[in-house]
Amino acid sequence: MPDGVAIRAQDLQKQFRAVSAVRGVSFEVRAGEIFSLLGPNGAGKSTTIAMLSCLLQPTQGDASVCGHSIRQSPQRVKACLGVVPQDIALYLDLSARENLEFWGKMYGLRGATLRQRVAEVLAIIGLTERQKDKVGTFSGGMQRRVNIGAALLHRPDVIIMDEPTVGIDPQSRRHILDNVKELNRQGMTVLYTTHYMEEAQELSHQIAIMDQGKIIVCGTHAELIRLVGERTRLDLTLHSEDDALVACWRSIAGVHSLSADHGRLTLLVDDSNLVLPRLFETAAQVGVRITSVTIEEPNLEAVFLHLTGKALRDAL
Amino acid sequence: MRILDIAAKDIQQILRDWKSALFLLIMPVLFTIFFGLVFGPVTSGDRQRDPRLPIGLINQDPGGQLSDSLEELIGQSAVIRPIRLGQEAAERAVDRIEQGDLVAVVRIPVGYSQAVSAGQPISLEVITNQQTPSGRTALIALDTVTGRLFGAVESAHISVEAYQSRIGFDGDAARQTAFQEAFQRAVLAWGSPPLTVQVEQATGTPAPGGRGVISNGFTQSSAGMIVQFSVFGLITSAMLLVLERKNRCLQRLLTTPISRAEVIGGHLLAMFLVVFVQEALLIFLGQFAFGVNYLREPLAILIMMLALAFWAACLGLLIGALARKEDQVIVLCLGAMFFFSALGGAWFPLDVAGKAFSSIGHVLPSAWAMDGFQNIILRGMGFGSVLLPAGLLLVYALAFFGLALWRFSFE
Ligand SMILES: Nc1ncnc2c1ncn2[C@@H]1O[C@H](COP(=O)(O)OP(=O)(O)OP(=O)(O)O)[C@@H](O)[C@H]1O
Ligand SMILES: [Mg+2]
Repeated sequence: MPDGVAIRAQDLQKQFRAVSAVRGVSFEVRAGEIFSLLGPNGAGKSTTIAMLSCLLQPTQGDASVCGHSIRQSPQRVKACLGVVPQDIALYLDLSARENLEFWGKMYGLRGATLRQRVAEVLAIIGLTERQKDKVGTFSGGMQRRVNIGAALLHRPDVIIMDEPTVGIDPQSRRHILDNVKELNRQGMTVLYTTHYMEEAQELSHQIAIMDQGKIIVCGTHAELIRLVGERTRLDLTLHSEDDALVACWRSIAGVHSLSADHGRLTLLVDDSNLVLPRLFETAAQVGVRITSVTIEEPNLEAVFLHLTGKALRDAL
Repeated sequence: MRILDIAAKDIQQILRDWKSALFLLIMPVLFTIFFGLVFGPVTSGDRQRDPRLPIGLINQDPGGQLSDSLEELIGQSAVIRPIRLGQEAAERAVDRIEQGDLVAVVRIPVGYSQAVSAGQPISLEVITNQQTPSGRTALIALDTVTGRLFGAVESAHISVEAYQSRIGFDGDAARQTAFQEAFQRAVLAWGSPPLTVQVEQATGTPAPGGRGVISNGFTQSSAGMIVQFSVFGLITSAMLLVLERKNRCLQRLLTTPISRAEVIGGHLLAMFLVVFVQEALLIFLGQFAFGVNYLREPLAILIMMLALAFWAACLGLLIGALARKEDQVIVLCLGAMFFFSALGGAWFPLDVAGKAFSSIGHVLPSAWAMDGFQNIILRGMGFGSVLLPAGLLLVYALAFFGLALWRFSFE
């Protein structure tokens, strides 16, 4: 990989008729890194990935993967890339093994090499025992694992995973996250998209936060947290939401941002010791009961709130 | 190579689906039997099995030697088939010709034998519609038969005269016997008639003489169901394409180094192979279970199989390109099956429905597929007779392929 950069996106843009899905995205993923694209639904993560994996032509901009331009040499890009799509793209009437064999052949593997790689990948995704069962009979989590396995067979230099843990049980999620770390430890570069900030936080060397087709910030976890400074995040639940109260809270000194969603509020404040009493006081004045309060150390959620004025979950 | 991988995967999926056996094999066999029986039971002596033109025969000179011989000669004709009519039936003869029941009615008048052997002028009464080809054909056939009769009478006279002048007869009875013997010999001497007319009937069989042609109800139904189910059998393979698009595997394929052309080529190949094997199995059954002689021209049949399979595969690809959902595949396959089978002559021979219908039907590739097969199994024609049908099928196949490519979407 030239100059140690596995993926370099330069001003990628994608326009679908009226919709600007991706609006000038640039970033670099260094070889050997786990890089997360974190963003709410509709942020443009999948569209960015579709361009990187040569499924979509960018409206503007270019990108290189393993040193090959996605515009000039898509075939080379595809050969060095493994793509795990957001949807489970497998043949449900074929067994796990048959699926892996088929996808392996698509990457040019044959004969003994193919058989060996299929066995290895089955072991990695922990489905050796169920290899003969039809994928259609698998749980969501197991299907997700096969979905990932199909992208690993040809030992790609770079793997792109699009929300590989959506809607699955905690056990399968754990398995997948451990897989990702292990693959990375063995030298694979990973581009990982998610809207779970915990995952991004746990896995990534670098995180880019995306919203509305743009990367709003990019850096290591520590760098991003530093943006929020010494602020604290407060999560509150109200018995009933009151617009006047929310407006009043926004104006309290020391409250930086606030997002409200059906009685669930997230605030970013300078000093919770000073702000909290004010909140209880004003709530009592208008007769609204605060049913729960949590005080959190700053995290990526807070960064997103700080930068966009929305909670990550609101944007979902 | 990846083309083969895709095709192999498709076939693996098709074989795994229990419906495939139903659509590809069980249904066509059942329908072949059903339509085969409708078109004509295989019992011998059946009307369908005698392709000769039916003519009514009224013999008003029964017992006369020549009139009996005439009846016999008509019975031996390759073209016409006598049906004896009584007096009362004779009165409705014209109606029956108009209804198409009979092609002509012939009356052998009283004293026919007497007059012919005496060399007096007398003629058969023939009622027919000369406007129709079969009417004209029947007339020619009758002329041939009477020609043979007169010829035999003439030569019997000559030999009796010769004997008379050289040796002489021992009375009138001996002379009569000698005439009869000479006449019989002369009739038999016409082993092969000088003029034969071949008839081809709309529903059926050609004139005898087509080498190795066996005709029964299955000649229509076996070929018909091969054509029909080559279309209907696409349901499983076209469904695969739609499901592959729906479950995003088609998109995923594009993230691998395979090209779009290879993906399409692989699916087309799978459809082609499935239809081809289906045809082979149905032809095997047709040959050995239903007595349809496909193998009298193996190479011609092979060419038709390839052409039909290619066209069907392109149609399957088009259905897979047009359909977005599973139920649309079913609707399109059923629609295509009814359209191409009914109008293309898979259910009944197009000629039966008349010339106009037949020409309209021949706008469809399925009509040409039927033609190609039937030229061999029904009309007893040679290898060359499938070249035009197969060529046209290929042209249709390319047109459908073009449409499919145009409409094909990976998303
Ligand atoms: N093929 C398309 N045609 C039109 N609009 C599209 C198309 N694909 C995506 N979009 C739009 O582009 C925007 C970005 O979508 P994208 O799928 O990239 O988001 P995402 O970040 O992956 O979201 P999610 O978390 O829901 O997967 C959305 O508004 C979406 O509706
Ligand atoms: Mg997405």
